[in-house]
Amino acid sequence: MAESSVLEAWKTTIPCRYYANGMCREGDRCQYLHVEGTSHMSSEGEQTKNTRSELCAEGNPTRTESTSDDDSDSSNAETDPHVSGNKSNISKPSSLSGDTSSTNISTLRSAQVNQEPTICQYFQQGCCRFGDNCRNKHEVIENNSNSPSLSRSDNLPENSLINTFDEASTSVSDANSLLALSSLQTTSNSSDSSETSEEKCMDTIKGIESKTKLRVTAPEFIPGRFSSPSSSELPNEEVNDTKEASSAKTWAQIVNASAGNSLPPSQFTSLCPYAEAGDCPYAEACTYLHGDTCEFCGNKCLHPTNEKQRKAHTDDCIKQHEREMELAFAVARSKDKQCGVCFEVVVDKNPASEQRFGILPNCNHCFCLACIRKWRQAKQFENKIIRACPECRVTSDFVCPSMYWVDTKEEKDKLIMAYKDALSNKQCKYFKQGRGKCPFGNKCFYLHALTDGTKVDTGPPIRRHRQNADGDTDVLQMFLWDFLDERDNRWLHSLDDLDLLAFLSGSDDSDSSDVDIF
Amino acid sequence: MANIAAQRIKREFKEVIKSEEVAKCAIKVELVSDSYTELKGEIAGPPDTPYEGGNFVLEIKVPETYPFNPPKVRFLTKIWHPNISSVTGAICLDILKDQWAAAMTLRTVLLSLQALLSAAEPDDPQDAVVAKQYKDAPEMFRLTARHWTAAYAGGPYSNPEFDSKIRRLTDMGIESHDARVALSSFNWDLERATEQLFS
Repeated sequence: MAESSVLEAWKTTIPCRYYANGMCREGDRCQYLHVEGTSHMSSEGEQTKNTRSELCAEGNPTRTESTSDDDSDSSNAETDPHVSGNKSNISKPSSLSGDTSSTNISTLRSAQVNQEPTICQYFQQGCCRFGDNCRNKHEVIENNSNSPSLSRSDNLPENSLINTFDEASTSVSDANSLLALSSLQTTSNSSDSSETSEEKCMDTIKGIESKTKLRVTAPEFIPGRFSSPSSSELPNEEVNDTKEASSAKTWAQIVNASAGNSLPPSQFTSLCPYAEAGDCPYAEACTYLHGDTCEFCGNKCLHPTNEKQRKAHTDDCIKQHEREMELAFAVARSKDKQCGVCFEVVVDKNPASEQRFGILPNCNHCFCLACIRKWRQAKQFENKIIRACPECRVTSDFVCPSMYWVDTKEEKDKLIMAYKDALSNKQCKYFKQGRGKCPFGNKCFYLHALTDGTKVDTGPPIRRHRQNADGDTDVLQMFLWDFLDERDNRWLHSLDDLDLLAFLSGSDDSDSSDVDIF
Repeated sequence: MANIAAQRIKREFKEVIKSEEVAKCAIKVELVSDSYTELKGEIAGPPDTPYEGGNFVLEIKVPETYPFNPPKVRFLTKIWHPNISSVTGAICLDILKDQWAAAMTLRTVLLSLQALLSAAEPDDPQDAVVAKQYKDAPEMFRLTARHWTAAYAGGPYSNPEFDSKIRRLTDMGIESHDARVALSSFNWDLERATEQLFS
């Protein structure tokens, strides 16, 4: 299954964030890559990015982000950092809100682990709510890992961010978290405790906070829908992320901050497959691109910017339209066509397997396939008679099956070419890939090829010599078509089930003749 | 009866009834049984032939393999024709034998028979005696055929001379049909016919 292979890919390519921080409880059972050292942190971001962009490029309808979050959530449920209350808790809410900042945070985290005092990651993102009171260091780190959102937030005006944050934090957080927050502030202010205890307390609060958010008020996960429909339900820590999310930044946008602003408000540059096929249940809210409406097929499948795709699709649509027209004409001209033998309208025959025309190459009389074949197998008449058209007695060498009637010579030639082509791809049952002998030689319609695929010219048809009553020698030439109909019929029944082989006279699917090639 | 045969005869029957030849009373088809296996056909003698004015009734038997095999047709009405047996009414016509084509219908068969009446084929005879007369004494053939048409098919042209010769023989206790056959076979030579009848 695709899913398992995707999982497998993660296992081998995505580094474990917990392990990178030195606290993965899963050990060897962990689904993620355990890479030594913090030096991998930057490569982690890289790898994640790569996987991500690959998935995006495939146009995988699964929301990559959501899936990864979901998955990491479930796979790490046992080691939920919030439950354990250890330091890694911060990474959880941010990972929940989308991966945009997860790498940054892990990067920061690694920095946090290695250097004291801790650098405030919120300040790094331009919105630490504690301002000067923050116990962590407020300074911009020159990090070589150069995480995309960091560089981006650097570009952003800090004021506006902070403003939005303040606004959000008041409206956002529910009563509980506000309470918890204020109590924290009071306790931390009044009790003047040591840094470690304060930090611990802080963590606990945050743990509680994010846990509450996680468990109770976490937005319902809906695949394909953006994961933060209303900012008011999100934890404070996420406000920054939320802001990003609500302004609908794509991963690509975050990576290429400069290009980000010009992109449409969709998450991916690939077209939404649902909209392409007709109807996307998420309509405007869909994270994928909804293309322009194609005037031929009426689906939203024209890429707004990709000219090549637009042209290719339009060409496809025009071809499809032509095929449909051709089919409509074929149906129209086949309508009311009566078989000259059974006198029934061929397309009205019962069962449906009988609704096929037997086209004679040399005259334009209409018969159903079953009737003309039966006639051509009649034993009571001379060959000359049964090879002739029952109406006009013009001899035809074979009968070409077709789903539709052909009027013009061009159409008929096309049909017959397709028929012969199809036959020539079928192994000759006499030649048997070299093991047998075909009496029709190079006049045979079927494929004479050895097992390795090399084609063989078996020369002209075998001539048979026969002494007639006067002692003279008659030279009889065997003609394939003397046998063709008989064989056709023999195989016909098995082929009736194989109508699928709808290759057809020119317009590939229009004329899905029964292809009696065997 | 095979489905296809019955289906087709039904269609043909409708077709022939609507055809213009029926309107002109040139041909006619009637059902003999409900099963469509046996029919009765009727053709008018073509104008400018010895058969003009006569109506010839045909027996049509439709085989199960119809239309892949021809219907079996014979004349029920006695007729003097090189390609039709004066005894059994059997017809020698290629399309009813080896030249049959599946696209042919009752209508085309009847029209072909009508054409056969106007254009006999003495080199491929069904009745050798008639064919010989047709070739050797065409005028005698014409009179004889016309006499037969009048006698059996309701033709308008009676021949008093032939009638009196037949009466001579019937007076001797000979069936009129046998007398007619004998006289016709010997170019209405009463002596030779009598000789043959009483030998």
